Amino acid sequence: MENLLANSPETRTQPAALNGATPVLRLTNIEKVYQTKTIETVALNQVNLAINRGEFVSIMGPSGCGKSTLLSLMGLLDEPTSGVIELDGRAVTSFSDKELANLRNLKIGFVFQSYHLINDLSVVDNVEVPLLYRKGMSSKERRQRALTALDKVGLSARTAHFPGQLSGGQRQRVAIARALAGGPEIILADEPTGNLDSVMGEEIMELLMTLNRRDGVTVVMVTHDEQQALKTQRVIRFFDGSQVS
Amino acid sequence: MFRHLFTLIWNRKRANLLLISEIFFSFVVLFGVAAVLITSAKNYLAPHGFNYEQVWRLEVRAGQNLKMPRAELDDVLRQVKALPGVRTVALTSGNLPFIFNVNNSVYEYQGKKSPVTNYYDADDHYNEALQLHLREGRWFAPADDGSNHRPVVISQDLRESLFGNGPALGKIFTWENPGKDVKPEDQFQVVGVAEPVRMESDFSAAIPTAWLRLLPYDTTHWETANVLVRVAPGSGGELQEKIARTVAGVTRQWTSQVRVMDDERLHRRRYTLVPVVGLCIMGLFLIINVALGLFGVLWYNISQRRAEIGLRRAMGATGAGIGWQFLGEMMVVTTFGVVLGGLLAAQFPLLNAFDLPVQPYLLAIAAATGAVYFITALCAWQPSRLAAAIQPAVALREE
Repeated sequence: MENLLANSPETRTQPAALNGATPVLRLTNIEKVYQTKTIETVALNQVNLAINRGEFVSIMGPSGCGKSTLLSLMGLLDEPTSGVIELDGRAVTSFSDKELANLRNLKIGFVFQSYHLINDLSVVDNVEVPLLYRKGMSSKERRQRALTALDKVGLSARTAHFPGQLSGGQRQRVAIARALAGGPEIILADEPTGNLDSVMGEEIMELLMTLNRRDGVTVVMVTHDEQQALKTQRVIRFFDGSQVS
Repeated sequence: MFRHLFTLIWNRKRANLLLISEIFFSFVVLFGVAAVLITSAKNYLAPHGFNYEQVWRLEVRAGQNLKMPRAELDDVLRQVKALPGVRTVALTSGNLPFIFNVNNSVYEYQGKKSPVTNYYDADDHYNEALQLHLREGRWFAPADDGSNHRPVVISQDLRESLFGNGPALGKIFTWENPGKDVKPEDQFQVVGVAEPVRMESDFSAAIPTAWLRLLPYDTTHWETANVLVRVAPGSGGELQEKIARTVAGVTRQWTSQVRVMDDERLHRRRYTLVPVVGLCIMGLFLIINVALGLFGVLWYNISQRRAEIGLRRAMGATGAGIGWQFLGEMMVVTTFGVVLGGLLAAQFPLLNAFDLPVQPYLLAIAAATGAVYFITALCAWQPSRLAAAIQPAVALREE
């Protein structure tokens, strides 16, 4: 624990421009407890955290420390046992399933370690998936936005391919294009390079950093890779469900 | 979204082949059962074309190799008719309504052939006994004794097949392929046209029919005489006993049996219903099997697609939206099976299979389509609810 704290680079990487800015995402006194008939497991304990607009934050910690749970809460995929989550200054804790789904669709993009592409859909159809849930968008606009997103990640030539025909790095690019297609304010990436070799991992990291720098997309990334974490503006460390730095 | 679902199902067509096949076969079975039921119901609701109530069948037997002199038979008929409660008696052939005895043939008029036609021998009182509905002409009468041809009354459907819209009364037709020298008794002159009749069972369709006049008749080679007896309402066992005693009173060598035509109708109905009910039960079991199969496959599909469900929730789908998506997918798969089944079913009316009219087939296609969509929606409903309830965070973490 002491060692982890000693290596913390969070204050060094925080950009001055973000100091005092309104957080795009704020978690206050968050607790998440998984309860079965016999066991109660505290996944997150009194977490207080603010993610500022335009930040690139990495979350680190050993397996089982609550990183993915935290990301699920940030992504409004799960509800905290107690505490408040605010997105763009609005507490979402009491939002209905429909309202939460709408917020996810409009404001959040997800990138997963195992890509989570639908194997029976072509690359462009996969990228269109979040846009299917956007009301009033024509199929033509959906297709255009998907193609633009694929262009951004350098996969314009692979639109008609199926996930099974792509390399791991390409699949993750498709997943990033899918996350981008809806024009989200935040990208939540759960170990996006975890299944890739170092070269491809580096490519994906570069892509995320470019999106953050060039397009101002806020990125929150869970990672085990210290080197990649050091490239982000802030590192948040977790241990046993608690934020340690 | 529909286009997306269609793309998804199309891209998974190999995986969905089993489901589509099950739905296709269900559709075909349901179509078959529906066609039988609709045809039977349609027939059941149609009029019989005659009145079977208060009609009894008197069977008089002379005994094997014994003669049945006409004088004695006429005496029997006269005495039975004279009994209080008996309205009329009529001599006919053995193929009475609702019994398993059919006489049929094909007739020909100026080279035009009729469909297979039931024919009955009937005397001048037959129409009083069965109360057919005459549309044209008249029933047989003693005046027909001098006719050079055999007088006949035909049903409207036989009339249409032989004479179309032209006049029928007075026209003479023959058996199929009559040859050059046709005997006068094989030349049938139309004296009347009756409404179509359904004499086989409550569920049988109207069959073209000809009633051939039974006169003059030689009964010496008869072993059995079949007599229709119309009785007064409320007549029962007492009158039946009197009839039997009357027959025995004429000649002790003859035996007789009286049966109520309505009982024979109900007896025949049971025989007709048994295979229909059997078919329905078989169809029902098949559909239950298919439904369980669909249920299982859908359940399995959902368990295999938990990550996709989690992903869609993360991308903005609501729980209810996921449920509707799975239901929608099932409807698209069902559509593939129904379209294939519909193409097969459409061949039946197009090819005029089983000589049935088009309408029952179209109704059967509609009924089978509705039933298949209902069954698949029912089977997909619970798994879809299950899919809707999957927690996205848990589903995404599982892979």
